[in-house]
Amino acid sequence: MAATVQSVPRKIWQTLAAIKTGVILLILVVILSAAGTVILQRPATDADEMQRAYSPQVLRLLDGLGLTDVFHAWWFVMLLSLVSLSILAASVQRFPNAWRYFSRPYKSPDETFRKALPGHVLIPIADEETALNVAEKIFQKAGFRPERIVRENSFSLFGERNRLSEMAVYIVHASLLLIFLGGIVDALYGWRAFVTLTRGQQSSQVEPQKGVKRNLPFAVRCEGAGQENYADGSPKKWWSDLAVVKDGQVILRKQIVVNDPLVYGGVRFYQASYGNTGKLDKLVLTATGRDGQEAKDITIGLDETLALDADTTVRLAEFIPDYVVSDGQVYTRSNELQNPAAHLVVESKKSGQAVNVWLPPIPGHEENASSPYVFVGKDVQMAYFTGLEVSHEPGQWSVWAGVIVMGFGLAFVFYFVHARVWAVPVRDGKGRQLLWMGGTANKNKDVFELRFRELVGQIESELNLSAKPGAEAPVAALAGK
Amino acid sequence: MARTATIEKQPASGNTLVVMVGLGVAFLLFMAFLNVVKSGNLLNDSNLLYAALIFYAGAGTLYLAFGITGTPSYVRFASLCTWVGLLANTGAVARRWYEAGHPPFASIYEMLLMFVWTLAALTLVAEKKFGVKVIGTVTMPVAIVGVVLMQLLRTEVHPLVPALQSTWLHVHVTLAMLAYAACALSFALAMMFLIQDKMKTETFLAATSVFTVATYLGVLTRFEKWGSLSVAAWNPEEKSEIFISKGVRLFVVIPDLGWLLLLVLAAVAAPLVLYVIWRKTHNEELLELANRAVFLSILLQILALAFFVLRAHDGHYASLDADGLFATSLAASPFILSGLVGAIFVSLLYLLLLWRREDLQRMLPSADELDRITYKTIAIAFPLLTLMIAAGAYWANRTWGSYWSWDPKETWAAITWLVYAGYLHMRITRGWRGRRAAYFAILGFAIVMFTFFGVTYLLPGMHAYA
Repeated sequence: MAATVQSVPRKIWQTLAAIKTGVILLILVVILSAAGTVILQRPATDADEMQRAYSPQVLRLLDGLGLTDVFHAWWFVMLLSLVSLSILAASVQRFPNAWRYFSRPYKSPDETFRKALPGHVLIPIADEETALNVAEKIFQKAGFRPERIVRENSFSLFGERNRLSEMAVYIVHASLLLIFLGGIVDALYGWRAFVTLTRGQQSSQVEPQKGVKRNLPFAVRCEGAGQENYADGSPKKWWSDLAVVKDGQVILRKQIVVNDPLVYGGVRFYQASYGNTGKLDKLVLTATGRDGQEAKDITIGLDETLALDADTTVRLAEFIPDYVVSDGQVYTRSNELQNPAAHLVVESKKSGQAVNVWLPPIPGHEENASSPYVFVGKDVQMAYFTGLEVSHEPGQWSVWAGVIVMGFGLAFVFYFVHARVWAVPVRDGKGRQLLWMGGTANKNKDVFELRFRELVGQIESELNLSAKPGAEAPVAALAGK
Repeated sequence: MARTATIEKQPASGNTLVVMVGLGVAFLLFMAFLNVVKSGNLLNDSNLLYAALIFYAGAGTLYLAFGITGTPSYVRFASLCTWVGLLANTGAVARRWYEAGHPPFASIYEMLLMFVWTLAALTLVAEKKFGVKVIGTVTMPVAIVGVVLMQLLRTEVHPLVPALQSTWLHVHVTLAMLAYAACALSFALAMMFLIQDKMKTETFLAATSVFTVATYLGVLTRFEKWGSLSVAAWNPEEKSEIFISKGVRLFVVIPDLGWLLLLVLAAVAAPLVLYVIWRKTHNEELLELANRAVFLSILLQILALAFFVLRAHDGHYASLDADGLFATSLAASPFILSGLVGAIFVSLLYLLLLWRREDLQRMLPSADELDRITYKTIAIAFPLLTLMIAAGAYWANRTWGSYWSWDPKETWAAITWLVYAGYLHMRITRGWRGRRAAYFAILGFAIVMFTFFGVTYLLPGMHAYA
């Protein structure tokens, strides 16, 4: 029973290579991925929503089976690997035959083949040389690149077109494997993360959806970000000016927009979101001294202290983008810039006196009247953050290569027909000279049949013409068609 | 849609039909013209689309009439109607493009516009190049349903959100529309193959009934207490559905409509029940009865459609989830509407087959020829599907940072691709020809339709724009 033991791997291999296995695997992929689109998936759906959608028991069952994250479940990955193996096995098993066919074309047909080939024709000829010459010329015109095949006791003509079409299926399968390879590489070594930056901020740490923060060998700095709107207020464009900083030096600068990422060292930064941090960037105020000094504009940030004159300084102690007063207390209602309030502290060095100024005045809090300066708000610039999606996909080049190869392969599968033609001088039972001609195509056989008959007709009429003396000119005209 | 119904019901015999369709088209154009004079804008895209609808409906009627009577002059006029409709459709596309400043691929409305255009163009190609003259009987109704849907969906030009501002989007969507239209054509050809392949008329009866029963069952998932039907609420100012929270629509209930649809469900189920009993008893009278039941069910279906249109097109109804009355509109329920219209068309096509099968068979190319053409259409559709997915992946990679994220639309596109890949493998390595291949082509198209519409409306995902 040693033979059976030995043949177990072989049997597995053959099962994998069987088209039935392939089809069953594909049906499984279809069913499971359909399930993955119908059942809500984590982490795209947040936990609360999952709990609302399913009862606890059902959710536990779905989670246990991995059906809430189908496309990353181990069994789905297994299934895809099996599909790849199946494609590989099927291709490897069938390849040698096809390769023999491809690498050693059948050039001089023997008698059995000549008799069996459907659609072959026999036409009477005067002499072999002229007939083969004419056939060669017509085949050449039709794009078959004919060649003379010389054997010990015979010679004949063979022409073909698009032989690569025989290999097309393997090209397509290889391309699929390339795509899968890229997918596997990315699943193993690729990552996706997120980083949020405000203007001027830089970071070399990015945050994946789960797991620990990832350190990059360089930092990325946001030098500006913004949004442009259409006339109706809907967003038209988000942009961020990014700089790549390494060892304190800027190596690369680029403005990214939604469809145009920054790429450095295999890491790509995408514009993913943009929004208000609820924090102040700059506040512009007009300060007018009570002693008749000229009014002047000051630009101040949070906790920043500016000198108004030799003696007086002002500090921005608080900024509330949307304030509300309740029970004599100032509260923040939202992060939207709707009803802003600023708390300034004006200090005098000489007297050491500090005055609280609120813009706008809030009863019970402000001492605006005792301030040496009067402030009027002029402009508020809020700090905006830009959200960057960061990804590293080393396998993508394999995927794109696969896509290109597949396009090429599919074109050959569907639109390039491997067509072969033969012409062999033979003698019939009575010793008359005949030209045997035959042709086959690996697909679109009906169309090829018509074309082949047309070619035979051309050869026949030219042979008839060349049999008559002085008929060179019309022959040329006919061939030119 | 009263205007299409008037054309459909004309007597389908004699040369008078051409004249009557001609008069119908002229009358509708005249009405449209009055409308235009009032609005003062001849070439806006809704007028052009209206013209396209009229001519497609005319073409559909004439193709149908050609199917029934076999009068060759009908098909000439039908092609002419299709040409004019296509011209108007092209105008609508161009106008839309000009107005929006980008190729019209950004919303489901714009994509339908392109889909219908491609379908009409391919119908003409199939007719002229392959000689499949009655193909219009199947494709034109699809085109009409498409244009009717477009009348309901919102039409204002929305500026493109940042993620859609990419050349790859146009490449992706153009390829998708071409592929889907080729799939639709292969579906129509496969159906014709089944007719030519001597598939029993009774089997078509069963298939038709299953389709209509499934449609009504689908619609009746909206059946609510006390025999009402719930439909999405509509905000006429915003021209959009009302959402309670993210992704959750507000529904209103139309009283009594549920009972009516339940009655129609019984009517469309009757032929199926009779068919099943016939399979058991082989009593031919039952089959006769089933065919009559189909006829009756069509009348009831038209009634149901009429009531649905009357009650849902404009009105205020109570909601089960919120207090007060809310408006609804036909535009809020495009799927119920297209389901009802589609079921009527399918039943009508069955009657056509029942009454004129021999004439149809005489006019169609041979079964072998149809089988070959079906394969050739899929040989065009499959590479287009492949490229469509590839272009989509490339675009996603530039926009979302990942070429494949198992979003439902992506997943279903992959499923479609796999089904057609299965078809090709079975055909090439197993030599599947004929009926099994035709079933595969029909299945493939069903999945394409689900990917196109079903995923957008039924499943959550990132393809929110389309």
